[in-house]
Amino acid sequence: MRFFRTILAALKEIFEESAYERFCSREKVEVSRESYASFVRESSEARNQHIVRCC
Amino acid sequence: MKPSLRVLLWIAIALLGALAVATIALHRGEQINALWLVTAAVCTYAVGYRFYSKFIAAKVLALDAHRATPAERLENGRDFVPTNKWVVFGHHFAAIAGPGPLVGPVLAAQFGYLPGTLWILVGAVFGGCVQDFVILLFSVRRDGKSLTEMAKEEIGPLGGLVAYGSVISILVILLAVCALIVVNALKQSPWGAFTIAMTIPIALLMGVYLRRLRPGRVLETSAIGFVLVLAAIWGGQWASQTPAVGKYFTLTAPALAIAIIVYGFAASALPVWLLLAPRDYLSTFVKLGTIGLLALGIVAMHPTLHMPPLTRFLDGTGPVFAGRLFPFAFITIACGAISGFHSLISSGTTPKLIRRETEIRMVGYGAMLCESLVAIMATVAACVLEPGTYFAINSPAGIAGQLPETAARTISGWGFPVTAVGMQALAHSVGEQTLFNRTGGAPAFAVGMAHIFSSSLGGQAVMALWYHFALMFEALFILTVLDAGTRVGRFMIQDALGHVWKPLGRTSWYPSILTTSGLICAAWGYFLWQGVRDPLGGINSLWPLFGIANQLLAAVALCVATTIIIKMHHTKYALVTLAPLAWLVTVTFTASWHKVLDPDPRIGFLAQARQLAAAGGNARLIFNNRLDAVVTGVLIVMVTLILLESARQWLDILSGRKAAPVSETPFVVTRLAEEQG
Repeated sequence: MRFFRTILAALKEIFEESAYERFCSREKVEVSRESYASFVRESSEARNQHIVRCC
Repeated sequence: MKPSLRVLLWIAIALLGALAVATIALHRGEQINALWLVTAAVCTYAVGYRFYSKFIAAKVLALDAHRATPAERLENGRDFVPTNKWVVFGHHFAAIAGPGPLVGPVLAAQFGYLPGTLWILVGAVFGGCVQDFVILLFSVRRDGKSLTEMAKEEIGPLGGLVAYGSVISILVILLAVCALIVVNALKQSPWGAFTIAMTIPIALLMGVYLRRLRPGRVLETSAIGFVLVLAAIWGGQWASQTPAVGKYFTLTAPALAIAIIVYGFAASALPVWLLLAPRDYLSTFVKLGTIGLLALGIVAMHPTLHMPPLTRFLDGTGPVFAGRLFPFAFITIACGAISGFHSLISSGTTPKLIRRETEIRMVGYGAMLCESLVAIMATVAACVLEPGTYFAINSPAGIAGQLPETAARTISGWGFPVTAVGMQALAHSVGEQTLFNRTGGAPAFAVGMAHIFSSSLGGQAVMALWYHFALMFEALFILTVLDAGTRVGRFMIQDALGHVWKPLGRTSWYPSILTTSGLICAAWGYFLWQGVRDPLGGINSLWPLFGIANQLLAAVALCVATTIIIKMHHTKYALVTLAPLAWLVTVTFTASWHKVLDPDPRIGFLAQARQLAAAGGNARLIFNNRLDAVVTGVLIVMVTLILLESARQWLDILSGRKAAPVSETPFVVTRLAEEQG
């Protein structure tokens, strides 16, 4: 069970679901179109600088 | 486990690894099973991780479990987040595993399976893993600073400038090579072109779904996207068999090149949520799944390798790329052994997630070992093919011949029997019109992967589906590198131009976005166009250029690492980074010398330019060869500068002429140590 929880946590981190959950809890907002748009806006600039995918 | 049992276990692992390496190195005359390669790799990695990485962690870097990491000290729930080590491991591996470890080993298989396999094993354990590990630790100890910033602080302003120049150069060449691989894989292939074209509306749909219908549900959206991509592979078969549709997707190399340049521009200029992010998610989803599937497939099917351990092309006359085993095998296989690009990731997002210093060993060293295993799997995929088939796919028309019969005769003449009829049957079985002259590595990998899977899962009847699945998988994440890389390149240019005129540095100002997107696309698009028009297939000149650039970036990273180790007064252990640095400098400088000055026109850019000029050849081709020579020369000059500057620093510190301030953030004791014991 713990193994699957870790796999799921890794997938959520890789796919940035956790980042959105952290955003919602930090900003004390619900999951919604508006909050997701704010999350994308906030993270896109900083994130894009670091989207390095290897060769 | 009792200490004595543990010792016995490690002795058994080491002996099994030695037996496997001896088998693949000494076996002659008979074909061997792919499991020997996998066993050699797993045992070597296990011993390397258990002993060498532990030595580096304890003696060289002195990892400190009590020292708070930036993720803990600067935790903000955004960039700096203390994260479970397995989660960071997955995150880091997903970022470093790209098309490089798949393509390089396939191309290097022209020397046989042995040289590539040995270089992947030795290069990873003593070079690539060490680089990723030390750069990650040094970045963690500097609040997650980037390689460029560390080079500037530790070596000097010149170091920073050269690191910046290296990064932007490698990015441009990498993007051109990636695009060229996709062009070569999809030209005259309506099935492949249809499938990949469909991933664009699928990504757009995912973007809208994620933003409007199910905000933030990325895993769910990616799963839907994956199902749609599978449907697109199925649809590709229909498209290729329906002339009215197929004609729109049967594209020439120049047409595909233009389409990809336009795509790169759009991905760079459009809002990130609409195209780039969903595509990135989709690609990662497919990538992790397919790598796992391939590993299972190789272990379950344990196919036989048909490629000999060594081929006659060790002498440098190979058709896939020209040049002798040394130095060209070592720049052809980059990412599976050592890749400078990884140092950008080790000093990017990953250091901001590390919870405890002691976990860096597993993330930095361990993830690179997994990447190296992917390269071994790519070697297996290439070497399960009959050598004649491998060379028929990977030899450019300019060398093997334009017509199938001519190419088959030429390749058979090299001692690798193949027939035009047999190749036609193979092409038919994978749903292609032809498999001759499909250079770039991706089609050969796809045929090999389809061969492995079709030997049990569905048999020959579904070989075409497996082939296009493999092709889609490679093209998808190559295009993801392309669109994300174009955007990063755009940011770097905006950053630099912002110093000249401030508005150009504003990342949300559309005139700046369009100008800088155009500039970066023009830069890699130029090299792509050059590759497409190259009668030798383009890969022959661009892949070595990419390999040289990538390994030179690794040399920059190792210069930074060695400087920091010397500043830490751990000089007696400096060989840990100095030895791979010396090897890389030897390899890349020798390769560069050959690529610029070798009198053989197939190898030397200037010799080819001279030959073309003497024959009254195309002025553009002559110019391109001279340009490639200049680019190689500039890269070498830049790295020479950083080497000299680093060496000056080392001598100054060691002779006591200069103090050695280490620019680490001050020690703060971690709270997590108390919490976790």
